[in-house]
Amino acid sequence: MKLKNVAAVGSLALVTALALSACASGSGSSETPAASATPTTAAVDSTLTGTITAGGSSAQANAQAAWTSAFTAQAKGVTINYDKSQGSGGGVTNWLAGSYDFAGSDSPLKEDQAATAQTLCGPGGGINLPIYLDGVAVIYNLPGVKELNLSSATIAKIFSLQITTWNDPAIAAENPDATLPATQITTVTRSDGSGTTTNFTNYLSQTQPSIWTNPPSNAWPIAGSSAQQGGSGVVNTVKAGEGTIGYADHSAIGELSSANIQVGTGTDFVPFSAEGASNAFTEAAATVDTGVEGDLAQKIDYTKITDADAYPIPLISYAILCTTFPDEAQSTLTKAYISFIASEVGQEVAAKNAGSAPIPADMLSQIATSLELVK
Amino acid sequence: MSEPGSRGPQRSTKGVRAKSRPADRIFLGLSTGSAASIMVILAGVALFLIIQAVPAIMADWQTNPDLTSGPTGGYANFWTYVGPLIWGTLFASAIALVVGAPIAIGIALFISHYAPRRLAGILGYLVDLLAAVPSIVFGLWGIIVIRPFLLPLSDWLNTYLGWIPLFGGQVSTTGSTILAGAVVLAVMILPIITSISREIFLQTPRLHEEAALALGATKWEMIKMAVFPYGRSGVISATLLGLGRALGETMAIALIISPAILVSVRMLTEGENSQTIAANIALNFPIATTLQREALIGTGLLLFVISLAVNMVARIIAGRAGKGALRKRKKMLAQLPPSDPSTVLAVDDVLARKSPAVHTEGADDPEPEIDREEREGKDA
Repeated sequence: MKLKNVAAVGSLALVTALALSACASGSGSSETPAASATPTTAAVDSTLTGTITAGGSSAQANAQAAWTSAFTAQAKGVTINYDKSQGSGGGVTNWLAGSYDFAGSDSPLKEDQAATAQTLCGPGGGINLPIYLDGVAVIYNLPGVKELNLSSATIAKIFSLQITTWNDPAIAAENPDATLPATQITTVTRSDGSGTTTNFTNYLSQTQPSIWTNPPSNAWPIAGSSAQQGGSGVVNTVKAGEGTIGYADHSAIGELSSANIQVGTGTDFVPFSAEGASNAFTEAAATVDTGVEGDLAQKIDYTKITDADAYPIPLISYAILCTTFPDEAQSTLTKAYISFIASEVGQEVAAKNAGSAPIPADMLSQIATSLELVK
Repeated sequence: MSEPGSRGPQRSTKGVRAKSRPADRIFLGLSTGSAASIMVILAGVALFLIIQAVPAIMADWQTNPDLTSGPTGGYANFWTYVGPLIWGTLFASAIALVVGAPIAIGIALFISHYAPRRLAGILGYLVDLLAAVPSIVFGLWGIIVIRPFLLPLSDWLNTYLGWIPLFGGQVSTTGSTILAGAVVLAVMILPIITSISREIFLQTPRLHEEAALALGATKWEMIKMAVFPYGRSGVISATLLGLGRALGETMAIALIISPAILVSVRMLTEGENSQTIAANIALNFPIATTLQREALIGTGLLLFVISLAVNMVARIIAGRAGKGALRKRKKMLAQLPPSDPSTVLAVDDVLARKSPAVHTEGADDPEPEIDREEREGKDA
């Protein structure tokens, strides 16, 4: 029956097409080569050999690529695979399943995850080490407006859709010198779950709890924005639209203008800078007592950022690893790599190649102390 | 391929004439195994989805700390989460069908009945080529080309037809609308609908067409009276297969549409585009915790069920119509005197089922032939 055959061929084509699209959606899992390997002279044991398998946060991806090439330039026998396609959640899930040496994550382990980590790592559990610091930039595209000052209250009102036009009195009051058009504001947010969203909503809910009533979340909580996939999706859409405003990792924004953010309730509006993020970290981040020895999970109190030299929306990302590795060689290798990352040279490599901010020296020495506990 | 030969003896009792040699048995085993593996794979996928989804479907969505935050936060239970997603999936696919199916059928008709033979060949090849474009490429094309391209149309529709709910609301300035997504979807389902419809139109019995023309029908009337009734069920099943493709499409939708999990019929807004199941899974899977992943897999289970249902309906329609029509025709032919020349012609037509793309030369069949073909055409 020819007709039936045709239908069969059709459904075969359908199946193939679905398989193809499934393949397409799984793309981008391979490790990215670093933009430019900077020859460095950090103390790395060049006799190390082996493979480190890790993955998670895509915010860390560029920095991990830079660290990988700088590290393997010295320890030639080492291969490092960092899978950024997993995202923070996937990274932690895979690490808890025992398939990663460490996970990259924008948020520290939750309580139940920490409990699971004890079955994986032994009684010592897993530790969160803050290895990556950046800022969340508020990016906009408004022709004719080069400089834009925004307070946390205004940002919260814009992103909760209470302010809908650019010439709103609240924006005008903060930007007396700018000529603001009556253009409709289009907020651009992430459609996929993201650590950047967690940091940004955390900032909004801490600084403006009466305006921003949603709890911090890795998924954007308010319908009505233009939701785009990935940090690059947000950046591209802000660039393409007019009157758009969005948020993204500072290292990913390219040439787009980003707003100066008001620190505290003062009169200072601060543009993003690496030092600004580092200062904010020093000022507002405090180690949380999780009961795990050596754990350096941070809690940022955004309301404490008041210094005119600090950028108000810092973003921290962690390396999460076991205190006791099942395999000693793997432990030595991973420790060497994380030590390199958490060295001043390592932080400089990331700052230069990935546009991140250096972690303050004080925290770096705490990380070194924690790493000594790792067996 | 685990049980080579296990079905061999069964088969041979049904009266295979030739002696069964080792190569026969091996090949039989291999092909039987391949056939069985399809069932195993399908059952395996279904089982995996069900086992993974059950914990999330059963969980208390209002108190479970894993589900009250992140992508699954703020829903009373699994069904209030998946409901809008199902709506979004069906809505986007429906728009894609409304836009894509008529064009696809038009292309198929042009290739089968209007185009010169050579052009028809090239066109058919191009349409098939369209099926080979990866969906990520369609997605990027949608972002960079279709989104800005549709903006003026969106503005126009919103301004003049905004009173229709479909076109109402705050019109998008970036173009990430469900309309843009559906247009790209429509392009993606074109090749499926076109290639199946084309084959079906080509199978229209030549005698039906010639009879219509001989009765004084214009070309369009001939297509309306002979081609469409004959191909109707085939075209419906082609459209449903296209729908199946649209339902499961992920990347293009995830890239283009600015989604929200809500039930909305608006097509031109920034923030009121209903999210689809597949795109929602792709976007939230990386960040999801274990139970959230299970919830996403649960939505996948429903998509699996919907797709399966659509495909099954398509196959049933195609199968029933095809079988029914041929059986009816054979029965009629059997009642004719076997030596009659018109019978021979008609039998040839039914058995060979091949007809040239275009034939406008006058029909020189004997008179009764036309009568009978006319009658059959109505029956089919």
